[in-house]
Amino acid sequence: MTVQAILAIAVFVIAYVFIATEKIPRVAAALGGAALMVIIGATGADEAFFGEETGIDWNVIFLLLGMMIIVGVLRQTGVFEFLAIWAAKRARAKPYRVMVMLVLITAVASAALDNVTTVLLVAPVTLLICERLGTNPVPYLLAEVMASNIGGAATLIGDPPNIIIASRSDLSFNDFLVNMAPIVVLLLAVFVVMCRFLFRKAFVYHADRAERVMALQEREAITDPALLWRSLGVLALVLVGFVAHSALHVEPSIVAMLGAGLLVAVSGLTSGKYLGDVEWETLVFFAGLFIMVGSLVNVGVIGQLGEAATDAVGDNYFAAASGLLFGSAILSGIVDNIPYVATMAPLVAGLVASSGGSTQGGALWWALALGADLGGNATAVGASANVVVTGIAARNGHPISFWTFTRYGVVVTGVTVLLSWPYLWLRYYL
Amino acid sequence: MHASELAEQVPTVTRETTALEAARVIAEHRLGGLIVANDAGVPVAVVPGTQVLKLFVPRYVREDASLAHVYDEAGADELCAALEDKTVAALFDSDEITTQSLPSVLPEDTLVEIAAVMVEAHSPLVVVRDRGGSYSGVITFARAMAAIAAAAARRQPTTDTADSDGPDA
Repeated sequence: MTVQAILAIAVFVIAYVFIATEKIPRVAAALGGAALMVIIGATGADEAFFGEETGIDWNVIFLLLGMMIIVGVLRQTGVFEFLAIWAAKRARAKPYRVMVMLVLITAVASAALDNVTTVLLVAPVTLLICERLGTNPVPYLLAEVMASNIGGAATLIGDPPNIIIASRSDLSFNDFLVNMAPIVVLLLAVFVVMCRFLFRKAFVYHADRAERVMALQEREAITDPALLWRSLGVLALVLVGFVAHSALHVEPSIVAMLGAGLLVAVSGLTSGKYLGDVEWETLVFFAGLFIMVGSLVNVGVIGQLGEAATDAVGDNYFAAASGLLFGSAILSGIVDNIPYVATMAPLVAGLVASSGGSTQGGALWWALALGADLGGNATAVGASANVVVTGIAARNGHPISFWTFTRYGVVVTGVTVLLSWPYLWLRYYL
Repeated sequence: MHASELAEQVPTVTRETTALEAARVIAEHRLGGLIVANDAGVPVAVVPGTQVLKLFVPRYVREDASLAHVYDEAGADELCAALEDKTVAALFDSDEITTQSLPSVLPEDTLVEIAAVMVEAHSPLVVVRDRGGSYSGVITFARAMAAIAAAAARRQPTTDTADSDGPDA
């Protein structure tokens, strides 16, 4: 191993520790790490900006940007607030039924949109409903964010780790739908049942309080019906574009950007509105992260690790998938699953390539996706959506401690990951 | 006109004052905000009226404005009634407002200086204090605007004369 490779590993590890511990803002850690990689000569402009394997993954960046703009317009319509209140009223404001409805709405929305955005949209209306019900909103918020992480696993665009995996593996939107959605539907059904027991103390029904929910006027949340219909029309087109992207030979990022452009054009909103929800920090964080991981690829560290992993795995892909599933779940609970998957993706790509394109080798991607997505539920820092929800809860006077989250998160992660294991075995290795 | 001539005495509140009482003070005296005093009665902060409204509107509604539309009248009245359970201290304990130094002017300051402080501090109230820190009253936004309008009116004939000397003359 060269001195440059050793230096690159040192820079990566130090930056990773800063990202995991949040001693400094994660954007600063990722950009600082990327800058140091340039200084030590582990990467350069060509590799960082134009290298498909060694630089910024523009497909990921622009897919995220496009979806953030689409959501930025969509949230102006009030459709999520309408749906959540409508669902609570359909549930006759009975607490468990309300939770189930909110969980299902969040999970389905998370499959079509980014998790962070979904919980940002659902959490405020949940606080309103719980205030009307006179109940503690913490169980509802926890259930929603966990449903978001489970539901987001179903599609290519549902969870940032999936976006990274799709870009690095050339897997299509439909590949994700066919391989991930069935297990996600099962996990969601189990999760709904689990909520009944996990949060049983939150389901106290008072008829007078239920009346306060029934008095809410959900239609009033939609202030611009024309914008709503235009937005839903474009969103439907975008989803059709995702489903057809491999047949049309168009990258998902192009679909998202075209959809964003169309929606901006037909919405008539100002740039402050449709760009207001773009998380520039997240996009810059991704860029820094890709340069750091790309530097490791560039100096040969990932290649050597890949060879070692290939030798260790041999032909036993089920053992590798099991290790990836459980290992990813544990590590994603400790560090944010985005940097974890960004690091692991090139390694898994090497393993899949060495399998000669077999189904058993290819299933390693699903093991990584399931482990990382579901592992994100384990702790308050496991996924970006968790951090957002705990922040919203704290600002509204309902702090969720790290251990409160972990107490429920570990149980949900444990059950969902354990259920995913036989799914992988039955579907790909039996 | 100097600050000392515009200063007036307005009621102050303390951190323990309920939000409901604070709302009454603002309404009865038509103030643009609140003067918060310490236990010794010395003003320590100015809270603009729009910030006081935060005690009435739940945070989740402020973060998602479309939720404001879903309340019926009874729901809105409930939020009003909840003001009795909140105190002015809630504003200071919140991370939403920054307790900046008290916007103040000197008794001899002119209208320009008074207006500049109001603009810079985004405050509808400024207190008048001498160099020793002695408090002598408050200038309200309405009082300052009235003084500005009066000063402009006094200058009007001079302005007309100046116009008549322009290029068209």
